[in-house]
Amino acid sequence: MIKLGKTLAEKLLGTHTETGKASAGEIVDASVDLLMVHEVLGSRILSVLEEMGVEKVWDPERILVVNDHWAPASDTQSAEIHIRNRRFVRQQGITHFCDVDCGICHQVLPEMGLVKPGDLVIGSDSHSTTYGAFNAFSTGLAATDSAIILATGKCWFRVPESIRIETTGRLPEMVMSKDLILKIVSDLGSSGANYRSIEFHGLTIDSMSVASRMTMCNMTVEAGAKCGLMTVNDAVRDWVSIHAPSAQWTPTLPDTDAEYLETIKIDLNSEPLGPIVALPHSPANGRPVSEVEGVRIDQAFIGSCTNGRLEDLEIAARILKGKRVNAGCRMVITPASRDTYLQALRSGYVETFVRAGAVVTNSTCGACVGGHLGVLGPGETCISSTNRNFRGRMGHPDSKVYLASPATVAASAIEGVITDPRRAA
Amino acid sequence: MPKGTGVLSGRIWLFGDNVDTDQIIQGRYLTILDYSEMAGHAFEIPRPEFAGNVKRGDIVVAGENFGGGSSREEAPHVLLELGVGCVVAESFSRLFYRNAFNIGLPALIVPDITNSAKDGMTLEVNLVKGAVSVVETGQILHGQPLPRLMLEILRAGGAVPWYRKKKRKQS
Repeated sequence: MIKLGKTLAEKLLGTHTETGKASAGEIVDASVDLLMVHEVLGSRILSVLEEMGVEKVWDPERILVVNDHWAPASDTQSAEIHIRNRRFVRQQGITHFCDVDCGICHQVLPEMGLVKPGDLVIGSDSHSTTYGAFNAFSTGLAATDSAIILATGKCWFRVPESIRIETTGRLPEMVMSKDLILKIVSDLGSSGANYRSIEFHGLTIDSMSVASRMTMCNMTVEAGAKCGLMTVNDAVRDWVSIHAPSAQWTPTLPDTDAEYLETIKIDLNSEPLGPIVALPHSPANGRPVSEVEGVRIDQAFIGSCTNGRLEDLEIAARILKGKRVNAGCRMVITPASRDTYLQALRSGYVETFVRAGAVVTNSTCGACVGGHLGVLGPGETCISSTNRNFRGRMGHPDSKVYLASPATVAASAIEGVITDPRRAA
Repeated sequence: MPKGTGVLSGRIWLFGDNVDTDQIIQGRYLTILDYSEMAGHAFEIPRPEFAGNVKRGDIVVAGENFGGGSSREEAPHVLLELGVGCVVAESFSRLFYRNAFNIGLPALIVPDITNSAKDGMTLEVNLVKGAVSVVETGQILHGQPLPRLMLEILRAGGAVPWYRKKKRKQS
């Protein structure tokens, strides 16, 4: 029998099993390097831990607790959840804790240097696929699995089969990695990568910033993927040397003879990509912006773990500089983290936004989950740089969300209707 | 899972494809700490009559990609809370599938089930064989038998009792 090579998913999971191996389709027990939990700790996980009879977590230095979804508390219930999280952090002596002043988990975790290439990171949140941008295996699980990891540091995983996507060519001006991933998710369909790993390769990915890569891995879950994985590039090397300077790591590459279910090739030179907008009510409903230009909007939102980072705010500020948000709509901007907020302040972006008539909020998941700071009312339409436009996701069941890049959102805010950002350039 | 046979039967609530987690339980209800209160909002958007009319043992039947989106365990949990006996779908998102077994709610994959099952009819489900039959029409459909691990977790009553059992064995 010919011995087939390993995919990135098989290699990254394999270094965390007792046998040192993992092959697609098999179920393995793996040791987790870091577990991130947010409000679901206080709302659901603590009662599971109690039922399990767990008194001490497996390792207080390998856990990150974040109060981010309703930060600061939007009602008495979220306030109680935050109280429970703070108490748990104190009682267990947990080293890494981000209270309501820090920002969104998927942004603060890498900023704190808690992920490095080769790691296995689990989060109690579906967008935990984000850390694949750092050449780490990362995925989301929910309350019960998080409780088991809190107790043991281990969990079972079905090793995923992989889809390989090779992208070459340049993204044109005002076209962002968000447009590329919206296209990919729409091509695959909302369950096209269910149970699978998406492996990203090619010069386009190699030359991307860390922020742009995170956006892509973040949204792989919208095609149902278990993880979205990338190899290390110079931007990741620089990031890790700044944020985790003492970390020891080696890059992981897939074998050249690794087996993939499918290989998809995207050549942006021969088929240039334009801005993509995902229509209600699925992130897989991506269409060229030209098909929806002119749709009237009530709110434009930039934020979330998908697109609330500095480069997202930078392009929005470039578009909004000296302009006004259309009188027929409102704009809400939520930087992804406190660090992002501070950098945006120093760069003058926050002043640009406020002068343009946008509301700049503290860092939180906020409007993206329909939690607070920009919830939609009946019949309202929002263009949003977030990741999900499910019916009712950002508020009232009769509201509509169009997903787009921060550039498209900013250009649309000025016009009050969905607008191609290339016109704003 | 019922002790012994792994056979259950109940009234069908029929749903289409891509029922995402916000359709099962909207994000804005996730801060509700009490599951019985939260369960009153289950399927509020697609079928607002569901929570008030569902009976213990009823079966949710759906098309492709049931439970896509969020990792929220609250999605299967509100169904379990309301007494839903089983979810049968043409396919599940990985997170919903895993979460359902973790809390002891069986989830069975049966291709083409939405072509045969009608709302309000009765479905008989054999979890071990992975087969279902529509009582009114007598039609039998074969799905995928439950994977060994999922059956093991379900027989234990969910991942917590399964974990405790494993721990007892080790000590």
